Amino acid sequence: MTNKLYKRVALLLTLAMFALVLAACGDATNTAGTAATTSAAAATTSAAAATTSAAAATTSAVAATTSAAVATTSVAATTSAAVTTPAATTAAAVTTAAATTTAAVTTAPPATTAAGTPTPKPASSKEGTLVIWLDTNRRKALDPLIKDFIAKNNIQVTLQELDFGGIRDQLKLAGPAGQGPDIIIGANDWLGELVSNGLIDPVDLSAKTSSFDPVAIKAFTYNGKTYGLPYATEAIALVYNKDLVPTAPKTWEELKTVAKKLQDDKKVEQAFTLQQGDPYHTYPVFTGFGGYVFGKNSDGTYNPKDLGLDNAGSKAAATELDSMVKSGLLRKDVSGDIAKDNFQKGKTAMIFTGPWNIKDFKAANVNFGVANIPTMKETARPFVGSQGFMVSSFGKNKLLAQTFLTDFLATDTTMKAIYDADPRFPAWTSVQAGVDPLVKAFGESAKVGDPLPAIPQMAGVWDSWTKSLNLIFQQQVAPEKAMSDAANAIREKIK
Amino acid sequence: MQQTQSERRLSSPGGNKGGGAQSRSSLSLTDWALRLIGLAFIDGIAIWFALTLYNNNNPIAAVVVLLITAGINVIFLSERLYPLRWMSPGLVLLLLMVIYPICYNVYISFTNNSSGHTLSKEQVVDKFKQQTFQPKDAETYSWTAYRSPEGKYRLVLQNKQQNKSFIGDESGLKPYDAPATLPASIDNFQKLNSFQAASASKQLEALNLKTADLAIQITSSTEAKELKSKYSYEAVSNKLTDLESNTVYTPVKGTFTAPDGKTIAPGYADVVGGDNYGKVFSDNNITGPFVGVFIWTFIFAALSVFLTFAVGLGMALILNDDKLPLRTLFRVLLFIPYTIPAFISSLVWAGLFSIVGPVGETAKTIFGQGFSWFSDPNLAKVMILFVNTWLGYPYMMLICLGALQSIPGDIYEAATIDGATRVQKFWSLTLPLLLVSVGPLLIGSFAFNFNNFGIIQLMTQGGPDDPTTTTPAGKTDILITYTYRLAFASGKGSDLGLAATISLFIFIIIATITAVSFRYTKQLEEVYN
Amino acid sequence: MSSVKASVADKVTPSKREGTISGAQRLNIILKLAVAIFACFVSLYPIAYVIGASINPTNSISDLVPKNASFSNYSKLFNDEQYPVLLWLFNSVKVAALSTILAVTLTTFAAYAFSRFRFAGRRQGLLVILLIQLFPNTLAIVSLYLLLLQIGDLIPWLGLNTHGGLILIYSGGALGFNTWLMKGFFDTIPKELDESGVIDGATRSQIFFQILLPLIRPILAVIGILAFIGTYADFLVAKVMLTSKENYTLPVGLTLLLGDNGGQRAANWGLFAAAALIGALPIVIVFLFLQKQIVGGLTTGAVKG
Repeated sequence: MTNKLYKRVALLLTLAMFALVLAACGDATNTAGTAATTSAAAATTSAAAATTSAAAATTSAVAATTSAAVATTSVAATTSAAVTTPAATTAAAVTTAAATTTAAVTTAPPATTAAGTPTPKPASSKEGTLVIWLDTNRRKALDPLIKDFIAKNNIQVTLQELDFGGIRDQLKLAGPAGQGPDIIIGANDWLGELVSNGLIDPVDLSAKTSSFDPVAIKAFTYNGKTYGLPYATEAIALVYNKDLVPTAPKTWEELKTVAKKLQDDKKVEQAFTLQQGDPYHTYPVFTGFGGYVFGKNSDGTYNPKDLGLDNAGSKAAATELDSMVKSGLLRKDVSGDIAKDNFQKGKTAMIFTGPWNIKDFKAANVNFGVANIPTMKETARPFVGSQGFMVSSFGKNKLLAQTFLTDFLATDTTMKAIYDADPRFPAWTSVQAGVDPLVKAFGESAKVGDPLPAIPQMAGVWDSWTKSLNLIFQQQVAPEKAMSDAANAIREKIK
Repeated sequence: MQQTQSERRLSSPGGNKGGGAQSRSSLSLTDWALRLIGLAFIDGIAIWFALTLYNNNNPIAAVVVLLITAGINVIFLSERLYPLRWMSPGLVLLLLMVIYPICYNVYISFTNNSSGHTLSKEQVVDKFKQQTFQPKDAETYSWTAYRSPEGKYRLVLQNKQQNKSFIGDESGLKPYDAPATLPASIDNFQKLNSFQAASASKQLEALNLKTADLAIQITSSTEAKELKSKYSYEAVSNKLTDLESNTVYTPVKGTFTAPDGKTIAPGYADVVGGDNYGKVFSDNNITGPFVGVFIWTFIFAALSVFLTFAVGLGMALILNDDKLPLRTLFRVLLFIPYTIPAFISSLVWAGLFSIVGPVGETAKTIFGQGFSWFSDPNLAKVMILFVNTWLGYPYMMLICLGALQSIPGDIYEAATIDGATRVQKFWSLTLPLLLVSVGPLLIGSFAFNFNNFGIIQLMTQGGPDDPTTTTPAGKTDILITYTYRLAFASGKGSDLGLAATISLFIFIIIATITAVSFRYTKQLEEVYN
Repeated sequence: MSSVKASVADKVTPSKREGTISGAQRLNIILKLAVAIFACFVSLYPIAYVIGASINPTNSISDLVPKNASFSNYSKLFNDEQYPVLLWLFNSVKVAALSTILAVTLTTFAAYAFSRFRFAGRRQGLLVILLIQLFPNTLAIVSLYLLLLQIGDLIPWLGLNTHGGLILIYSGGALGFNTWLMKGFFDTIPKELDESGVIDGATRSQIFFQILLPLIRPILAVIGILAFIGTYADFLVAKVMLTSKENYTLPVGLTLLLGDNGGQRAANWGLFAAAALIGALPIVIVFLFLQKQIVGGLTTGAVKG
C-alpha cells in the first residue's frame, strides 16, 4: 500500500512538471500568472482524481458551477468564442490555398494598425485580403482578370471554389464563426434566408444601377434594398423540336391543337410534357390564367399576406391542367429527368425548360428552337432566377468588397468575361446584344417574368403547392379544391 | 446492480476479472514508469489545451477537457477499472463526436433557432450598433483618399451641389479649395485609386472627420455621409433604443420588439423553453397524419430488415458452399451494388421504375399496361422495399459470411450424427448461432431504416400524396421525412429548433422500441452474458 | 491443415466427405448456381445503367447503350487540370483507410473488454452504445463544425479543413454496432484459450495480441470493409469540414463538378456516374484483398488445436 502511494506521488510530481513546461511553452507571454495558478489547480484536480474518483467528481462539480456562472448558455459561449477568436490555423490554411489555387501576390498593404484595434490577433492579417467564394465557371472567368487586378492594385484576392449550393450552406456556418468570405456568388432566391439571418449586407450600386437589366435588379431587391450585383438572369421558355413543330405556337390554344394533332397522327406518344408536381415549371400556366403566388406591393416587392394560389385565375389554371390530363395532353408521373430524356429522344415535341439544358440538347442532336411561353388568357410569366455577387456581413473588408463589386465587377470587360466563360443571359445590358441566339431567346422569356420570390415564406409554399399539383395530375382531388386546400395550408403555416 | 455483482463473482479469477492477483503483482517498475510517463504526457497536453481554452474565454470546454483527462487518469491508475482502459480511447471519441452533438441537439430543441433567429445575441446587437442613419440636414460627399510615403492618409471630401470641399486627416477637417479635377498629389500625398483607398479602410476610419456635431463616414466606394448611430444598446436593462425615432425595443423570445409590437430583424437564437415541444403536440400538421405515417414507418423498417437479412443470409449460405463453381466471382459481383453510393443507385432505380423506364416498359409488354409505381400507394411501397433490399443486402451478406465462419464445424458434425436434416440444422443451429452476433446489427439496421431519409426522399419524396389531408403527407412518407419536411418548409423558412425537438421525439420512440425488444428477445439477452 | 480447412468449408454442406457427388447434391448445386446467377443479374442491372450514364454525353440516366456514346465524362474527370480527381481519390483512400484502421482498433479493444471482463455498468454501457447510435442527428454537423473550429485553434492539424479533423469525426462513431458485432464474435471464442494463455504466463496484452487477434481476422475484415465504405462514400460531413480544393475527398470534389451548372436545376449525371464508378474501384480492390480473410477464417481449427 505504501508502495502504491509512493508511486502516485511520483506520478503527480511528473504531471505537474509536464504541465508547467507545456503551459510555459504554450502561453508564455501574457498569462504566465494565470497559467501557473491554473496548472496548479489542474494538478490538484488530477491529484484528487488519482486518489478517489468521488473526490474528482466533487472538484469538477465546483469547477462546473463557477464556470456556469461565467457563461449564461453553453452554446452561446461556444459560438461567441468562435467569433472572437479567428483561427490562425485556418487563416494559414486559406493562405496556402491562395498560394496554390490563385495568383496571390506577396506584398500586402502595411498591416501595422495596432493603434486602431484594441485586441491584436494574429489572424487580423486577413484584413486587406479579399476572399471570394465562387463556383467553377465564375472562377474560370475571373481568374485571368484577377491576376491583372492584383498586379495593378497590390491587393490580395483569394478565389475559393465551391459548388454552387455549398456556398450558401457553408456561409451559414462559416460566416458567423468568423471563417467566412468577403464576397459570395449566389442566387436571388437565397436573399430571404440570408438577409433575415443577417448574413449579407446591402450593396450600393448607385450610378451603375441603370446599366443592369431592371428585372435582375428587381430580383436582387429585398425589403427595398439591393443585396447583390447580378450577372445573369434565367427563366424557362417553350423549347420545341423543330422537326416535329416547325414554328413555335404563339398561343396556348395553338399549342394544344398542335399537340393533339401530333398525338392523333401517332408522331409522338406525348407531344407536350410538363413535369408533374413541379411548381417552378408550372408557374407560367398559373400566371397565364391570372393566378399568382404572392401579390405585389406598390414598390414591386412581394406581399406574403396576399396569397393568390386560390384566386379565380389559379383555380382556372388548375382546372386547365386537370382537363389536359383528362384529354391526354398531359401525363402524370413524369419527373424532370424523364421529361428531358423524352425530349432528347424525340418522344416529346415541346417542353418548358431552362437554358441549363441547352448543352445536353445539343449533345443529343435535337433540332430545337426556343420561344416565349405561349400566351394564355394573358401573358404567361415564368419565374426569373438571377445569379449575382453578394457581400458577407461578417467580412473584414466590407468597403473593399463594395468597391470590388462596383468598380471591378460592374464593368464591360468583367461582365463580358463572365458571359464568355458560361453563356447565360447577362444582366449587364451592354453585353446582352452579342449573346448566342438561343441564350437570348431564354433571356427574352426572362424579360416578361416575375422574380423568384425570395421571402422566407416561400419554403412553406413550395411544399403545399407541389402536393396540390401532384393530386391534380394524379386525378385524386378536384382541381379547385386542391388549390384551396393548398392555399389554406400555406396560410396556416405563414400565420 | 445485483446482477453485476454476481457476474463479477462468477467470472474466473485467472484471466477474466479486472486484474487478477497474479498480474497485479507481476507489474514491473518499468511498466509503471511507462504508464506514468504516458499519462504525464497526456495530462500535460490536456492541461495546456484546457488553459488555452480558458484563455480563449471558453471555460466550459476547459472544464470538460480537464474532466475527461481526470477520467483517463483514474482509469489508468485504478486496477478496478482495468477493462475501461481498453475502451477509453473509443469512449473519448464517442463523447466528443457523438454525445456532444446530441447534447447540442437537446440544447437547440429548447431554442427558437430558425430562419431569422440563427445568430447569437452578441452578434445581433453588434449588427444593430453598426447601423447608422442620415439625419435630416446632413450632407453627402464624394471622397478621394491620398497617402504619403510614410503611410499617412488624407481625405478630400467634396459636395459638388453646395460647392463645399474639405480636406481631413488625424487633426480634423479643414476647408479645401478644390480645383475642378483633383490633383494627383497634395503636398507629398499621392492620390489613391478606389481599390487602394478601400483596402486602407481601417486607416481612413481612424481619421478625424467631424463637422460641427456629425461624424462623416465612408459609405461606399464613392460616397461619404454625415451619419449618426441608429441604435444604442444598454446591456443592464437589455434595451435597444432607436435613436432616430426614439423607439425602445426589448427582446421578446429573441426578437427586439417595440411596445407597439413592431419588430426589427434579425432576431437571435434564444432559449424559449418548451415552445417546440408544445408545437409537436398541438400542431395539427404534425399530429394529424401521425398514426398512419408511424405505422408505415414501422412496417417499412421491419420489412427492410427482414428482407435484407433474408436475402443476405440466403446469398451468404449459397456462397459459403465450396462446391459452387465461380464462388469468388459471385461474391465480388454480388458485393458490387454496395460500392456504388446509395444516392446514385436510388436515382437510377427511380428512373428504371418510371413509366418510360425499362422496368415500366417491360411491365407494359408483359401485362399490356404500365404499372404506376409512383402514383399507386401500394406499388410505391413495394418499389421502395425492393430498392431498399437491393441496397442493403450486400451488407447483410458480408456480415453473415463473416459470422458463418465463427460457427464451429463440430456442432454440425454432431448434428449429422444425430440424424438432423439440413433444414433442421439451419433452423436449430445456424440461425440461432448467427443471431447471437448479428442480432444487434439487425436492431441497428432497423433503427437506420426507421430514419432512412435518403431513400424515401430520392425515390418518391413521400409520394403519392394523401388526398385526405391538407398537410404535405404522402403515402410513403416515414416519420423522419415527413416531420423534417415540416421543419424545413415551415412558414418562416427552416426551423432548426423544431427539427431538433422532432429528432428527440423520434429518438425516444426508436430507443424505447429497441430497449423493449432487447428485454424480450432471448437471443439478444445471450449477448449480455 | 487441409483437413481443418475442409471441416470449416463444410459447415453448411457437411456431407461432402463422401467423396462422390450424388444426384441430389448436383441438383442442389445447380439450384444454387441458378439463384446466384439470377441475383447477380438483378444486382448488376442498375449498375449497367450507371455505366450507360457514364458514357452518355447528354446527362441522361435511362440508356443502357446511349447514342453517341463517348468517354467525354471520363476524360473530363481526368483531363481538366482544375479538377485534381486523382488527388481527391488519394485523399479519399487516405482518410477512409486511416479512419478505418483507427475505428477497427478502437472497436476491437472495446469489444474485447466487453466480452472478456465483468464490471459494473457493462450491460448498461453496451446498451447505451447501441442506443445513442439511433439518434437521428441531423444537427450534428453544426456542432461538429464548431467543435473542429475550437480544436483547430489549438491543434491545427485536427481543425477545420484538415484530414485529421475529418478522421477524428469518422472515428467518433467507431463504438457503435460494430462493437456488438465484434463482441459477439469474441464471445464465440472459448474462454479456455485465454486461461491457457494465463497458465503459460502470458500477460493480458499478450493474450489479446498473440492469441485472440489472429482468430478474429474474418470479422476484422468485415468491419474493416464496412467502416471503409461508410467513410469513403460520405460527403455530407466532408463537404462542410473541408474547404479547400486540395483537401477534398472524391465525393466532395464531385459536388464541385456537379455545381458546374450553377443554378443546380440540371444535374450532371454523366460526370457523377463516371466518378462513382471510378470511386467504386478502390472499394472493390479492398474487398478483393480482404475477402480471403472473410471467408477463410480458421477459428474452429485453432480452437481445436
